[in-house]
Amino acid sequence: MIAFGSAITKPDVYRVCAEPGIQRAAEPDSVVLPSESIGSLQASYNALIDRAAELDGLEALVLVHQDAEIVDDDFCEKVRKVLADPDVGVVGCVGAVGVRSIAWWEGSVTLASFIHRYGEHGGGDLPAFSWKWDQAPPYARLGQVDTLDGFLLVLSPWAVQNVRFDESLGQLHGYDLDFCLQVRAAGKKVVTADFRAIHNHSLTLVNDPDGWIEAHIKVATKWEGKVAGVGAGAGTWKQRALRADAEREAAKVVGYSNALESDARVAELERALEEARGSISWRATSPLRGFNKTRRAAGRRVRGSSTGAPLNGAGPR
Amino acid sequence: MIAFGCAISEPEAYRLYAEPGIRRAKEPDSEVYAFSAVGTIFRSYNLLLDTAAQLEDLEALVLVHPHAQITDPAFCAKVREALTDPDVAVVGAAGARGVRSIAWWEGEVVASDILHRYNDHGGGQLRALSWAGDALPPPAEVEVVDGFLMILSPWAVRNVRFDEALGLGHGYDVDYCLQVRAAGRKVMVADLGLTHHRSLELIADLDLWVEAHIRVAEKWEEQLYGPVGDNGTTWEQRGRQAEAEREAERAIAYGHALHRDARVLLLQRALNAVTSTRSWWLTEPLRRLNKARADRREASPR
Repeated sequence: MIAFGSAITKPDVYRVCAEPGIQRAAEPDSVVLPSESIGSLQASYNALIDRAAELDGLEALVLVHQDAEIVDDDFCEKVRKVLADPDVGVVGCVGAVGVRSIAWWEGSVTLASFIHRYGEHGGGDLPAFSWKWDQAPPYARLGQVDTLDGFLLVLSPWAVQNVRFDESLGQLHGYDLDFCLQVRAAGKKVVTADFRAIHNHSLTLVNDPDGWIEAHIKVATKWEGKVAGVGAGAGTWKQRALRADAEREAAKVVGYSNALESDARVAELERALEEARGSISWRATSPLRGFNKTRRAAGRRVRGSSTGAPLNGAGPR
Repeated sequence: MIAFGCAISEPEAYRLYAEPGIRRAKEPDSEVYAFSAVGTIFRSYNLLLDTAAQLEDLEALVLVHPHAQITDPAFCAKVREALTDPDVAVVGAAGARGVRSIAWWEGEVVASDILHRYNDHGGGQLRALSWAGDALPPPAEVEVVDGFLMILSPWAVRNVRFDEALGLGHGYDVDYCLQVRAAGRKVMVADLGLTHHRSLELIADLDLWVEAHIRVAEKWEEQLYGPVGDNGTTWEQRGRQAEAEREAERAIAYGHALHRDARVLLLQRALNAVTSTRSWWLTEPLRRLNKARADRREASPR
């Protein structure tokens, strides 16, 4: 039996995102463990794992963020297939190798089978590189990775019985890398599988930099020297400090340049739009467009249906 | 006498921007040293300093970047005023206090009302350094001035040189100002009219910039960081903190880029909605005709 769990801080988000995905993926005998969040995400997840550990016949525990939606109808089948290998401890649909810190995306990402759906600026979808296999780059592949993105994790019964999220890391960040490192340190595998999800997420990737920085340092300190690469860097600590300082400032400068570039592009488009909407021809043909709009609306009423629904249901917009 | 110097790495930029500005600002007895750039900017500027140092009646040497255009009609009077204090060795149009690295703009910025003109995306202008947050108005003493425009006192011209050992094209201004301050002299920002003609890409060669950042930090470690161990910090702690902050800055920048891309996409959709309608296609000849008429009007003698 495959169980599903989610730590819920925003019930309305859970209802719109995670719940439909769980309903789609779950089998008749699946146990769903929605849980009110208690303290940190790690503490909430540990409470869910403790509950799952008591379930008879557990084949896997799926931990899904409240804002993530599983979109595979045959999700459970794919989970069973990958967990047929008894050495697999945890599975996800986004993963990377060569990971040195909780900024795992700075490693070599091997699989990213998800859509980042955002609500800002009118909303939109950003399909990650392996959302569609026929369009995936040559480096997209399934298999063993260093770490997974924590928004959708599938834990094997072994992981449920033996591994817990480290609650000392803070509220939210780095828990996924740390969990994967624990699994690997115990000799088990961390792997990506061919299932997909939609992550309904703001475009702001780090909204509490201080908490994120603290978790980065804690994870690096915890694992340096224990797992190859993690927390590692070239040179002495003095050299590393000076280089990281320089690269941090360079990252800021890149941000400033991009902001200027984007503001200029926006200004250019706004000028073009204003020019187009202010043209005599656009104003003169306004009644025609109004007529067409009315005609289309009438046509839709007659057909009695709306245009195509968004893929797998709408996220919060 | 106030002399002007420019190390010309791009003759076209000099002709378009620096030269007209110098022409406007200079006085009848001013010397103008327009030298072709030789090696790094450190070496080129030292050549200008060596030349200006020969002038017995030198009141100041103004180092102008080829992309900088002086727009201030009272420029020389303002230079003299700023240099009235004999302790002032360097004056600029923008600078900062609390500087910790060659990214001087991360300190408390003091800046004149400088224009940043760009040609990207149809061209435009904005307040220079607007991206660095609110700037304090000059005049004010600072630790470092922006190398785009540096005014050196006769003492500075004769006693301080750009450190050619750093030689990576960046950080020359920060290093020079730190040398001047280490010698007990002052660095100031004065209210000077200036236009900065440059791309929106603030640093084109980021890898070199990172190396220059490291070299300047190594040279001025105690002045910029404070000695290690003073407040119980070790290099390991600094390293871990800096590495974490670097990754956070990168992640924040990715997020900001996503926001900006989404904003651009929204406008592109709106523009496409206008320009892909049947009425827009149908009236295309009318717009072409109107444009041709407007062009003809523009071209005809008035």
